Amino acid sequence: MSININEILKALSDAIGERVLQTKSLRPEKACIQVEAGAHRDAVKVLLKQDGNAGISAITGVDLGETIELIYHIRTCNTIISIRVDVPKENAKIESITDLVPGANFHEREASDLFGVTFEGHPNPKRLILPEDWPENVFPLRKDAVVANVQSNSLPISEDNMQVAATEGVVNIVVGPQHPALIEPEKFSLKVDGEIVKEVEPRIGYVHRGIEKAAESRTYLQNIYLVERICGICNACHATCFCQTVEAVMGVNVPSRAEYLRTVILELNRIHSHMLLLGHAGLEIGYETLFHYMWRDREPVLDMMEELTGNRIIASFITIGGVRRDLKEEAISKINAGLANLKKKMSFYRQLFENDSTLKMRTRDVGVLSKQDALKLCVVGPVARGSGVDMDVRRDEPYAAYNEIPFRVITYDEGDAWARLMVRLDEIIESINIIQYALEHLPSGPYRIRVPRIVPAGEAIGRVEAPRGELFYYIKSNGTAFPERVKVRTPTFANIASFVKIAEGGNIADVPASFVSLDPCFSCTDR
Amino acid sequence: MHRQVRGASKMGLDIAFILRVLVFPGFTFILLFTMFCDWVERKIEARMQNRMGPTYTGPLGVFQPLADCVKLLTKEDIVPFNVKEFAFKFAPILSFSIFVFSFVFLPIDGANIVFNSNFEGDLIIVLTLVSIANFFLFLSGWSSFNPYSAIGATRVLTQFLGYDIPLFILALAPAFLAKSLSFSVIAADQDVPFAFIIPWAFVLFIITLQAELEKDPFDVPHAETEIVGGYETEYTGRRLAFLKLAKDVQIVLGAAIAVELFLGGPYGPTFYGPSALWYTLWFTLKLLVVVALTEYLTCVFARLRIDQVLAVNWKVLLPFAFLSLAAAVGVGLWFNLLR
Repeated sequence: MSININEILKALSDAIGERVLQTKSLRPEKACIQVEAGAHRDAVKVLLKQDGNAGISAITGVDLGETIELIYHIRTCNTIISIRVDVPKENAKIESITDLVPGANFHEREASDLFGVTFEGHPNPKRLILPEDWPENVFPLRKDAVVANVQSNSLPISEDNMQVAATEGVVNIVVGPQHPALIEPEKFSLKVDGEIVKEVEPRIGYVHRGIEKAAESRTYLQNIYLVERICGICNACHATCFCQTVEAVMGVNVPSRAEYLRTVILELNRIHSHMLLLGHAGLEIGYETLFHYMWRDREPVLDMMEELTGNRIIASFITIGGVRRDLKEEAISKINAGLANLKKKMSFYRQLFENDSTLKMRTRDVGVLSKQDALKLCVVGPVARGSGVDMDVRRDEPYAAYNEIPFRVITYDEGDAWARLMVRLDEIIESINIIQYALEHLPSGPYRIRVPRIVPAGEAIGRVEAPRGELFYYIKSNGTAFPERVKVRTPTFANIASFVKIAEGGNIADVPASFVSLDPCFSCTDR
Repeated sequence: MHRQVRGASKMGLDIAFILRVLVFPGFTFILLFTMFCDWVERKIEARMQNRMGPTYTGPLGVFQPLADCVKLLTKEDIVPFNVKEFAFKFAPILSFSIFVFSFVFLPIDGANIVFNSNFEGDLIIVLTLVSIANFFLFLSGWSSFNPYSAIGATRVLTQFLGYDIPLFILALAPAFLAKSLSFSVIAADQDVPFAFIIPWAFVLFIITLQAELEKDPFDVPHAETEIVGGYETEYTGRRLAFLKLAKDVQIVLGAAIAVELFLGGPYGPTFYGPSALWYTLWFTLKLLVVVALTEYLTCVFARLRIDQVLAVNWKVLLPFAFLSLAAAVGVGLWFNLLR
């Protein structure tokens, strides 16, 4: 990997030469390049050319006092290269990169909302996260933001919110914030002509909780429990990602028994998340029996989580320096028995998904996302793998015990809702194998080490393959017990842009099916 | 060979007549039986999906549909702003009453509710009444002034265009075998239920019935994940209760039509006691079989899309309906030779 990085850096200095201000490595296999303002577009261009699967992971803003630092995290050659640009706080402006990489659209809108940076040339510079009645000059993630300044003034109901806009036979159907197809509070305005969807306008942020801001006023130890609450379903992924990023800042190595136990809980998380989604997909396409069966079979997975962690959903299992509980011998046999049973059930479901005619009618060729579009929109996880993009953080940049456990990365080339569901179905089977292997080869030794509460100054990037895709953390420490900045980019935030693409031109009855196949989690999106 | 259709005597407006219309086998019986069928459906669906289903109200939860209905009757009745008030208020009640009225022409305890109400052609009248009642369901959504209701309502009509013709054609097959267009004669003519003589027509009829009853895989008019409640979205309180009851009665009526046409109606072996009781028993049992069958189909299928529903109706059901009618004509000629 390091050879690759040097090559990339060389290509970068060839292209933009003297405009590179500073280069430093974040972790051994990652690099961070500071460039002059204005050179970031060229730098991003160079990085995107390095790898066919390259895309943007996140845009992090950091308030440095006089300036705001924007960090473009580009995912290329199985690692993350960060481009760093400073913009002045007064009159913060920078050129948009959305035309280079359409997947940056939402990231730029988020940074614009939370840091007040104007992205010049952005195609749709509307608010994404903050409410419409939020005052103009208060930017929540700047350090000098004062809560008392936030006074919302009620707005007149805009045309957009009217349910029926009867112009030329086009009806505006609003899906959400309260809608049975969308049990989480987000809004999608669908312009519908008959049964065909013409246009989709997403709007998120209805339950934004400001967790990134809250993390700045809590200690690292408290933050573990805070980030677990970003998403209940994949809570262990958030905790693992946070902890391993902090461990990277500290330079701590976790005992290998803890690495294996983390792998087990991460995979259990994946199994129950995927089963939840597959059942939910059944509900969305009107196949209620599938929903009830799937959720019944999901229950034993939660019992296994309880055997391992003591809790069914929010595990509170992972901590900085290892895990909080050891796994007992009798629990291993219980988990193994449950997994063997589950494996049998999954082969039944696999047959069902492959053969059931009505299920296939509703999911085959529905919501097709081509490989080109998937790469352009920088989608992650099963959505990308369902479109034939071969990427998986577990393999590309192994964490926990994944470099010691053999497993397959599942990809399907169809790119439709069915392929995305099949990816998840196969991944469950693969996860069962991973857990069985991990339990069989569980190393002995301590399961955690004690770490100091104060983290030395530094910064690190962490990535975890959550059930919904790549989970991204950026943590900057200022040498105290409180982090300076915690940036979380959840997989759904990266995937949500693709919904616009796959819904447009489709049938209104396909909206739930294609939507659910993305496995959207708005609890994640609205951190 | 033909069974005598009972109740040929003249009948005035006496107590027995009023009891017959209002209590048994008329309004009250149909209403209670509808609720019982609703419970059976819910129980079957729940057991197939590994759930309990209703358990609390009454033994095994059998009074749950009644409780639901009574609860709705006590709820606030809201007529939203801007709706077409007359249609909005009366469509549910009209659709409910037309479905109930259709039962008049079906022999339930060996005779019709009103004696001698059967006539040559009541099969066509009932099928037409069902279509009209469906139109009122459409109207209830259309008058709601709500995009979900409007889409649900148009789906009712679109789907109705698809299944109505195959349903009529399939209903003609037993009519041809019995050489009559009257339910009483068709039901009485089945020494061997037609379901065994022309099973293909029975199977197709049940599938078409699924579309008529808006059950999976054809329940697009109220696909709750797409269009909320469909045409029911804006309804509350007693109007919603009537809409729901109308749907439930429609399910029983649909099953009853299938029983009359293909399963020999109420007729079956009678033993000790009045034959009317035995006939009612056979009728209920056969009807429950059909209800269980439709509920089974509901559980094993996912919901189709409206265009797929239409494709199934026009490209599969309609040609097969014609084919099955042709085959039934062939069988009928041979069958009549035997008798």
